[in-house]
Amino acid sequence: MANTREIKGRIKSIQDTRKITNAMYLISSTKLRKVKKELDATRPYFSTLQRAITRMAQHSPEGDSRYFLNHEDESPFSQHQGYLVITADKGLAAAYNHNVLKLALRQLESSTNPTLFVVGEYGHQFFKERHIPIEQSFLYTAQNPTLNRARNIALELLERYDRGELDSIYIIYTNVKNAVANDTIMTRLLPLDREALAADEPAADRSLEVTDIHTNYEFNPSLDEVLNHLIPSYLVGFVYSALVDSFCAEQNARMMAMDAANRNADEMLHDLNIQYNRARQAMITQEITEVAAGAKAQRKVKSV
Amino acid sequence: MEEFKLLLISAERLFYNGPCVSLVIPAFDGSWGIMAHHAEMVTALNPGELRYTTPDGATTVVASGPGFTLVNNRDVVVLVDTIERPEEIDANRARREYEEAQEDLRQKQSQKEHRMTEMALAKALGRLQVKDHYR
Repeated sequence: MANTREIKGRIKSIQDTRKITNAMYLISSTKLRKVKKELDATRPYFSTLQRAITRMAQHSPEGDSRYFLNHEDESPFSQHQGYLVITADKGLAAAYNHNVLKLALRQLESSTNPTLFVVGEYGHQFFKERHIPIEQSFLYTAQNPTLNRARNIALELLERYDRGELDSIYIIYTNVKNAVANDTIMTRLLPLDREALAADEPAADRSLEVTDIHTNYEFNPSLDEVLNHLIPSYLVGFVYSALVDSFCAEQNARMMAMDAANRNADEMLHDLNIQYNRARQAMITQEITEVAAGAKAQRKVKSV
Repeated sequence: MEEFKLLLISAERLFYNGPCVSLVIPAFDGSWGIMAHHAEMVTALNPGELRYTTPDGATTVVASGPGFTLVNNRDVVVLVDTIERPEEIDANRARREYEEAQEDLRQKQSQKEHRMTEMALAKALGRLQVKDHYR
């Protein structure tokens, strides 16, 4: 009967799709684990670095370095903004890309002269479709973030900052809040704000047991020179952890999306199976009725 | 000799965390030796050869990338981009990188490219130096 065959076909196709979503789920979870491990390996470096910068920032007098925010003079601040937007290469990750791009669009509306630096294929396509100009030469993938890629990105941004093409640099990325929720975040990379730095200084890593970093150092050759060495490393570190954080968030979002897809598929399969069994039962019942009716008719003919 | 605590951290791993009696770092203006009770300071590091001796007398030589050193009262923290043991260095590759960087330096480059080439040159030199020292 056509009806059972149709249902069977649907069950088959749903089972096939479920295999794909399940595979994507597994791939995402493996990638997530791999990247998390790398991030943990780099954590001592970046937390120590950030602490050192914070201390030196408190040490250097206000308005000394071009890398620090000058509180008396806020005006150049709104001239040329650079936005580093980190999206995924692929969709199928629930609202992950959407949240990042929504925040970016909102920021674009309020800025006078923005330049967009987009990481990830999805973001590129998004801005292209809307005819929003982005930096074309800035091509980096969001897949498997490496320190080397972070270095290239950070140095490219820093070069523009040094040349005066950008007055401030912001980064829009996604942070993994917990296993089920992501946070889309925007922070200023440059110029650095002493007060903000002090506010989110990471807690000292007790396992390393370093005596606390304080301020009575002799700087060689000079504080400025040391800072000029530190700032690029700091930026690289920040960009790297943002890339990794976003990548984790992307995998997380995809895992959840695929998990939901798997569950939906299971539900549909369950319903279809019941439908299929009913249709089959109806077919059998009908056949029996036909046979019984036929036999009855035959008996009647004989008895006549 | 008196010992102090040394913390060697690269961006990829925590390389060494333990006691040390003497440390030689590739500072911006040449090698600096550091022993216990050194004056507290912060100094920028160029890529090059870094050496440290543990209390049992064993000396380890590694090639380090750019970074900086924090000398505290009782401990020393070295934060660098990369740390490589001599056996991890490919001498042929380092030599090739050295030659390529020299070649690139002769060409007109943007600021970023120039800085990266300089860094590549210093890194390759540091690697070669460590490799030679090891032999």
